Amino acid sequence: MIRLSPRLRRFALAIVVVAGIVAIGALAVMAGLFSTSVVDASARTPLTADQTKGLVERGRYLVRAADCAACHTADGGAPLAGGRPFPMPFGTLYATNITPDPETGIGRWSRADFQRALRDGTAPRGHLYPAMPYVSYRQLTADDTDAIFAYVMSRPPIRQQNRANSFPFDYVRPTLAFWNLINLPAKGFVPDTAKPADWNRGKYLVDALGHCGECHTPRDLTLGMIQQRYLQGTRIEQVDAPDVTPAGLSRMGFDAAALARYLPAGTGPQGVMNFSMYDVVHNSTRWLTQGDAAAMAAYLMGSRPVASSAPAAPAAAASGLPAAGRQTYLQLCSACHGIDGEGIAHVAPPMRTNASLRLSSPRNLLVVVTGGLPERPLPGGERFQAMPAFGHLLDDRQIADLATWLRGTWGGMPAAVTQDEVRAVRSTLP
Amino acid sequence: MTLRKSPLSLTVNGKPVGPIDVPDDMMLLDVLHEYLGLTGSRMACGQGICHACAVILDGPAGPREIRSCITGAHFFSNKSIRTVEGHAERDAQGNVVRLSPVQQAFIEHFSFQCGYCTPGFVTAATVLVERLKKEPVARRDLEAAIDKAMGQHICRCTGYVRYFEAVRDLVLATPGLVKG
Repeated sequence: MIRLSPRLRRFALAIVVVAGIVAIGALAVMAGLFSTSVVDASARTPLTADQTKGLVERGRYLVRAADCAACHTADGGAPLAGGRPFPMPFGTLYATNITPDPETGIGRWSRADFQRALRDGTAPRGHLYPAMPYVSYRQLTADDTDAIFAYVMSRPPIRQQNRANSFPFDYVRPTLAFWNLINLPAKGFVPDTAKPADWNRGKYLVDALGHCGECHTPRDLTLGMIQQRYLQGTRIEQVDAPDVTPAGLSRMGFDAAALARYLPAGTGPQGVMNFSMYDVVHNSTRWLTQGDAAAMAAYLMGSRPVASSAPAAPAAAASGLPAAGRQTYLQLCSACHGIDGEGIAHVAPPMRTNASLRLSSPRNLLVVVTGGLPERPLPGGERFQAMPAFGHLLDDRQIADLATWLRGTWGGMPAAVTQDEVRAVRSTLP
Repeated sequence: MTLRKSPLSLTVNGKPVGPIDVPDDMMLLDVLHEYLGLTGSRMACGQGICHACAVILDGPAGPREIRSCITGAHFFSNKSIRTVEGHAERDAQGNVVRLSPVQQAFIEHFSFQCGYCTPGFVTAATVLVERLKKEPVARRDLEAAIDKAMGQHICRCTGYVRYFEAVRDLVLATPGLVKG
């Protein structure tokens, strides 16, 4: 046996005690001792058949407003039966089957199970991964969650086995208790009584149902949303989810009325909703009532009016922009987007009012110019035709010049786009 | 916006053309029609959907189809293109003595009725056949390759099946285009 001096022994003992406390603390966290639930005891009483029936239609609306289909309906898959893959740096996550099939779906879930999953992030079998936006859904009211439950349970059960996540360490699930400790707010939605009702309704639609921040708010190292940078925009799936604070929206050319029209239509003078937002229009925002779209817009634009951004400089005034960019625009873009950037209705959106040219980064513009876009049918019979990819016809210099000219001419963003930025975009395209 | 004219030189069907003064925003199709008298390429939708205006752009990456109604003429400065007028063999006087294999196949299969879309289909099929000469495709992938080459072309008389069959038969009858 090793003999230790009394001092060393005390030191070793201290280490053991501290380690023990840390271990007990960690186990306590994982056992949920510090976790807070926003679900109250009333959820333990099942909904009656009549209650359920009365909630289904409201639930249908809320499921759309919350865009459950975005993740839980795979491309070409049965509604809400899951299976959509989410590639992550450490493996692929698959959305789950939330139809009421008892074996493969959530048919055996109780009202309380559903409330806990949406608002606490805890399913009967353990913690949900935060890819499920329960940090946002935590703000759902109990009544709305019941309505969503009633609607989901009214859907046809689809027997479709969940795909196993390809995570190397699925046993990290219990450690999500730590993540929740840091990133899950203690409380649900608290209306601001000093603000008008439509502002509060808008905030609820944006934060709880629409979970806009999940894409538009930057995330920190733990992948939690940085509340100090709420809705300020971030890069997601290789493109920029724009800054949708009042200042950002204003720079893109929106006011509350224009935004209230744009959300359900998916198009306006600002262009066409693309990338992930194209699906959001079809799954979610097109179904919003006029009142709810207006409330969202009113909340997003803020109660204090933002000084409207200076109109983009007219082409003639934009000196110092690369002439080669203008030549490329005339040769390859102007047939559809117009010599003066006016666009063609139902064919190609205008450039001179296009929001993508006004973003701080040229990323989205470069992705579209280089890789093109598919045809875009929109609500109400509106439609924009496919945008060809120009990556194979133009070199990096030509694309950079074109982007610089476009942003300088119509976007009020005269800073030169570099070839490095074009190269970075090319490397992300197939 | 008033636009100036600039001199344009390019190669059309193997012959140098220009310099001619062409407005900076004029599309290639208009130059073919109005300046060069080559009226075979068709204007239909005028917005890049129907592909009736497609011509061949020959470049270092090989032949490629490009829509002349939405692509500015000056984009083709010092480049080389082929239009539908350039495919058949001609004698010294310029008279057609023999159609290209693609053109002949379309006739033999009664592929077209009104013929308005045909120049675009000839372009697409010719590009496909020339590409297959360099990179033959496996037999099982042939239909997909034809669809990829011609699937975007619109024919209002709905001659699609006969266009597709004509190209498939031509490819299968031409040695070296299909492997395995």
